[in-house]
Amino acid sequence: MTVSSCMKRNVISIHASDTVRAAAAIFVQKHIGLLPVVDDGKKVIGVVGLRDLLTLEMPDFVSFIEDVDFVHDFGAVETTRPEAESLDKPVTSILKSVFTVEEDCGLLRAYALMLQHNLHDMPVVNKKGELVGITSRVDIGVKILSSWSAVE
Amino acid sequence: MLAGIITVVIFFGSLYLIFTEKLNRTITALAGSMLTIVVGRIMGFYSEEKALEAIDFNTLGLLLGMMILVAMLEPTGFFQYLAVLAARSSKGNPKRLFFLLAVITTVLSMFLDNVTTVVLIAPVTLLICEILGISSLPFLITEALISNIGGVATLVGDPPNVLIASAAPLSFNDFLIHSLPIVLVVWVGVMYLLLYLFRAELSVQPRKAKAVMELNPAETLNHPVTARQLLIVLGAAVLFFFVHHFLHVDPSLVALTAAAVALVWVRPDINQTLKHVEWSVLVFFGALFVMVGGLEASGVLDALIGLLEPLASMPPILFGVGMIWIVAALSAVVDNVPITIALIPVVHGLGASGMDVQPLWWALAFGAGFGGTGTIIGSTANIIVANLSERTRHPITPAIWNKRGPLVLVTTCVISSVLYAILYSTF
Repeated sequence: MTVSSCMKRNVISIHASDTVRAAAAIFVQKHIGLLPVVDDGKKVIGVVGLRDLLTLEMPDFVSFIEDVDFVHDFGAVETTRPEAESLDKPVTSILKSVFTVEEDCGLLRAYALMLQHNLHDMPVVNKKGELVGITSRVDIGVKILSSWSAVE
Repeated sequence: MLAGIITVVIFFGSLYLIFTEKLNRTITALAGSMLTIVVGRIMGFYSEEKALEAIDFNTLGLLLGMMILVAMLEPTGFFQYLAVLAARSSKGNPKRLFFLLAVITTVLSMFLDNVTTVVLIAPVTLLICEILGISSLPFLITEALISNIGGVATLVGDPPNVLIASAAPLSFNDFLIHSLPIVLVVWVGVMYLLLYLFRAELSVQPRKAKAVMELNPAETLNHPVTARQLLIVLGAAVLFFFVHHFLHVDPSLVALTAAAVALVWVRPDINQTLKHVEWSVLVFFGALFVMVGGLEASGVLDALIGLLEPLASMPPILFGVGMIWIVAALSAVVDNVPITIALIPVVHGLGASGMDVQPLWWALAFGAGFGGTGTIIGSTANIIVANLSERTRHPITPAIWNKRGPLVLVTTCVISSVLYAILYSTF
């Protein structure tokens, strides 16, 4: 079985010329965790994750203090929104490099790659590098488990 | 003569590379020291034995002992604990918080390395300011500035002091008598200046003053038992520092014994602990000593004493005040350790030509310590804070620093010069 058997083909993506604000709106509307960013030729040039967007609002101290358990109230930062300036930047300003697999990739290989690269969602491309689908750990994992019923 | 010229060229060539940061300072010093030994062997004025003798193991031992203690104290969360206590007792009042964090930074930097103090106190300061909803800028800049000042107060506060104490020699109590009182007055002056410079930022009402009351100090301590053990050992070490010269033991023995006791008591993963010791600093110091030893062996220092003879008739106080300003100006732009190591033989030279150099040691300590406040690259503590703030939304730029740092530098030098002139001409 290949990854093409367990991917969503109707991929929601965003064009490289769109803004961070537009990307955020898509995340809210579609309730997704990862948004591939494509160029005019439908080639994936990178991804934006929910995490990357939330970094814009995350307080600075979180990246310096290992253990924030003792901070019971985030106080002022709970109500601090990102500045308009950073929301109106192009989405490419927070672009992360993308890791993709081709649609004929085996399931176990795909799952292992996601584990090793710490990915929860992964775009799938065809031989030409065009975006054809997106898969997740749950999609692949469940597909693998479904074959266990045949084990005698 | 030729030997002297070669060692001087190696020494100043190395200093040039260090100050221009063309090559890492430890690599430069190590290469320079080895070059000095090789040339010394070929020309017959220096040897491995002499090089080893030139290394001041008291300085290295004291630094190593304190580094081991700090490496063990760091992961306990004690520094966060202090800052959180300060935040709670400030009740979210920015001026009170400013004062309390400055006091903590000063006291810690008097006994621990300034860099360690700032590395540990700055992130939690950022946290407190963010949850209060106030700018962290005044707090972070002040912590860097004030750690430089606090470090001047004691023998163990700053590496230049360790070097001076070992060279002069001066005891821990000598620093408490000669340096601490002047540092205290300087501290008060600088705090008033900083409160004035940051008056706008510190008058802002925090958006969420109550948030700091929700910080739980107890939860900041990852290893309360270890923290207590280490504080007991550190406290005992400080007591022994007070009496070390009555007991005729060197501070390095006190520090290394304290480190040994702490290691036996706490029994940490020794590889982890030693990983946090800054070996590059120790190697840097050792290599500089070897180079200065080469200068001495090649006769450069004797020649220098001859050159300095005419100066020896100058009034030592005037000389000292001049030294404070010149050393401060130098250490505002370059590392104060090589400056101190290079100037120690000069002071010895002046002594050999008949000047009373006792006041000059203090001038050297004040200049080297206070000078670090002048620029954003003036001390490692400043660089650490600047680097940290660069990873936040409000980085401290050289321009921001230059609006305060030079004023602080001038204030420290004016106050210390006046007190210096009064105290050393009357006593």
